[in-house]
Amino acid sequence: MSIAVRRHQPAGVRPGPPDGSDYVPSSYEARQIAKSFAGARALTGASVRFEPGTIHTLVGENGAGKSTMLKVMAGVHRPDAGELILGGEQLRSLTPRTAQQHGIYLVPQEPTLMATLSAVENLFVGILPRARLPFSVDWRAMTQTAGSYFEQVGLDVDPRQPASTLSIAQQQLLECARALVHRCNVIFFDEPTSSLTAHETEVLFDLMRRLRGRSFTLGFISHRLDEVFEISDRITVLRDAQIVAEFLPDKVTREELVTAMVGKEIAKRERRHRDLSGAETALEVDGLSASRAFSEISFSVRRGEVLGLAGLVGSGRTEIAESIFGVRPATGGVVLEGRPFRRRSPASAIAAGLIYLPEDRGHHGVFANVELERNITAATVGVLPRFGPLLRPAAEKEIAAKAAERTRVRAASLQIPIKSLSGGNQQRAMFSRWLLAEPKVAIFDEPTRGVDVGAKADIYSIIDSISDSGIAIVIISSELEELVLLCDRVIAIYEGRVVSEVAGDEITLERLGSMIVGEVAK
Amino acid sequence: MTGISPSLPPMPAGRAPARQRRSALRRLLAQRELLLVALTLAVFLVTFAVNSGFGTSGNISFLLADAMPLAILAVGQSIVCIVRGIDLSVASILGVAAVSTGFLAQDHNASVWLMLPLALAIGVCLGLINGLFVVLARIPPIIVTLGTLIVYQGVQLLICGSRTVVTVPTFYITLGNRNLFSDIPYMLVPGLLVTVLMAILLRRTSWGRSLYAVGSNADAAFRAGIRVNAVLLSAYAVCGMLAGLGGLAFLVHYDSANGQSGIETNIQLWSIAAALIGGTTLTGGKGGVVGSFIAALFLEVTIEAVIVLGVPQVWDSAAVGILLLAAILVDRYQSSGTSLRQLLAATLARGAQQRPERVTGERR
Repeated sequence: MSIAVRRHQPAGVRPGPPDGSDYVPSSYEARQIAKSFAGARALTGASVRFEPGTIHTLVGENGAGKSTMLKVMAGVHRPDAGELILGGEQLRSLTPRTAQQHGIYLVPQEPTLMATLSAVENLFVGILPRARLPFSVDWRAMTQTAGSYFEQVGLDVDPRQPASTLSIAQQQLLECARALVHRCNVIFFDEPTSSLTAHETEVLFDLMRRLRGRSFTLGFISHRLDEVFEISDRITVLRDAQIVAEFLPDKVTREELVTAMVGKEIAKRERRHRDLSGAETALEVDGLSASRAFSEISFSVRRGEVLGLAGLVGSGRTEIAESIFGVRPATGGVVLEGRPFRRRSPASAIAAGLIYLPEDRGHHGVFANVELERNITAATVGVLPRFGPLLRPAAEKEIAAKAAERTRVRAASLQIPIKSLSGGNQQRAMFSRWLLAEPKVAIFDEPTRGVDVGAKADIYSIIDSISDSGIAIVIISSELEELVLLCDRVIAIYEGRVVSEVAGDEITLERLGSMIVGEVAK
Repeated sequence: MTGISPSLPPMPAGRAPARQRRSALRRLLAQRELLLVALTLAVFLVTFAVNSGFGTSGNISFLLADAMPLAILAVGQSIVCIVRGIDLSVASILGVAAVSTGFLAQDHNASVWLMLPLALAIGVCLGLINGLFVVLARIPPIIVTLGTLIVYQGVQLLICGSRTVVTVPTFYITLGNRNLFSDIPYMLVPGLLVTVLMAILLRRTSWGRSLYAVGSNADAAFRAGIRVNAVLLSAYAVCGMLAGLGGLAFLVHYDSANGQSGIETNIQLWSIAAALIGGTTLTGGKGGVVGSFIAALFLEVTIEAVIVLGVPQVWDSAAVGILLLAAILVDRYQSSGTSLRQLLAATLARGAQQRPERVTGERR
């Protein structure tokens, strides 16, 4: 069957055969894709070509543009520029729905099933088989055929079971089955393994290999390099919104791959060696627990020390930081500069000299429509110079300008809305906001997420210099290289507990890599 | 400074990205207040040219006084819109304040100077109730205030029973319909005072800043140390207070009040319209009160002009609706990065089954 025919299928078409036997293999190519989000560039002229019968993996650091690329190709995001070419035909104005009609399916990082509907309804949603009466659904046919789709993807569940009772792994397999129902033969997996166990990952990989055997065109994203080498036929590296390298997995070493992902500019930086044994304790966390998220977390940070919190996504790192800062409730003690910090809230934390730079800048950091100047002074409005009860605009502007200069925020003016700045400049502005609060203890959660190389280097020098000035720093980062470069000491959080600790020259990529998966070996 | 001065090399000279260069038209539209003043004058002058009676000093004074209840409500409405809220109950708050003070004035000849704090207090209380539901019960403000609009309406009817306020002391009538000097009615004084005071509070105090921060991004505001719940509560209280003041203004201007005062003219919707035309948005974090005040005058002049120009009165509402939509389009244009030509090209392209983004994409 031709693609042209598929495009005009009405909503109630028949589902595709469970074994995908009627598929025409086709390559799918993206040319010179550019995409920005609110001024932050996610892709700048990136091109990639996925071939049939191939598992093609995109790797790169957070914010490099991997997900954006797959989402553009699956019609989730509309590119600002560039072309999408499927089997020689250019696709225009792609939406998730038209992408599926063209045979392109994206298995999202977090499955998006309708929780209250049954597994079989989720499978056929959008193309429910019709019964003879108008507007009626052929439930019997649906339940009967569902079994064979589930079998194909290795999913063993009751079709009538609500989707909310399925595990994440099962939900992902159901998404794959849905792709088959929709006759899709280009299937993208956006970081599917980040929340799977080793066994579940193997089940998924088996399915991917079987689909490859049937000449499906497969795209994959993962942060776990072992997996990348295990499953990939091709590896494309993205960095700072661009494609920087393309490798065959048997012709590249791990180190070469990491260098391509991280970029030389950063890799050249040297670790600092400092002796902080005489410094006083600035932050002490004692037995901090919050139901489910984490328990019995204890650690301390000295003045001027940079402590890393390593851990997988979901290990509880961010929740711990948010609890210390008072965003979410927790039991246990926090002592700031020798004083117990009770009745925790962001307002009292800031007043006590503790600040927290959130990982999700868009939702928890910036006031998108508000001017850069007011974004910078937002956390310190209470202490700005005043005339009686009234703020003094000129003085405020001067303070904001100085703060912006210190962190090298690049902007045409302080009066433009912060959303028109790039991700890197927005993050620089967030640093200037929090440095204005003159903290004694600073927690930086993913301080370089979604910023370009230049901003990253600047942020590293800011962290260096404020730690030299005696501020205690806690850094949470998924980029282990970052922890190696910046930290004097690193503790690993695994499933809500502190499992191990390293300091000084023992902080290496390999060591951290094993620590974050829960290995305690000394 | 505790020595936080990273020794970074000086900032390279910033080149203004293209998106930040703004056309003259866009800059003009960004000056919403000036634009509205110009439009108001234009409507006024056109109508005056057709019917010179429109420009008599008596009529100017009437227009100003007549617009004040709405203008005061619009100022309050803007405050809740800035925190990404909405208050539909202002009509009933106005009504409750108007009949409460009205009956005291009619039956007991109560002084207007006593009625002023009473009206404000009624407004604050009713506004606080709205705020508590929004903050504590986490019910969306449109639902909360739809509910309280109806409940407060019931209270208003309960106060009235079978009676209406028909005679108020002469001093009330003077305040509501006479001039302070030449064409400036007494009514303009509270309207202007409230607007100027709120404008200063919004721009120059922490409280004002917090309103914008909470409206722009409540999560980020909380993490920046702003007491989000207190800020939300205060916004609804202030909006209620101004609606209470609006009630007293209504009473003195019309010398009467009854169980339907306020809601019968849908003044709650007009106040939202005025806030939006004035440049405040429902998505929060943007706008101000000066624009809303002028927009209320603009609406008043437009509606009266429609009458004077002999257009059938049913077109009143249509005119306001069109103005409202036009204001939103201006907002969209003014805050978007696309030029007018691109916007038109995109609109045409959409007609030809193409997406607007493609057009702008190809221009790069």
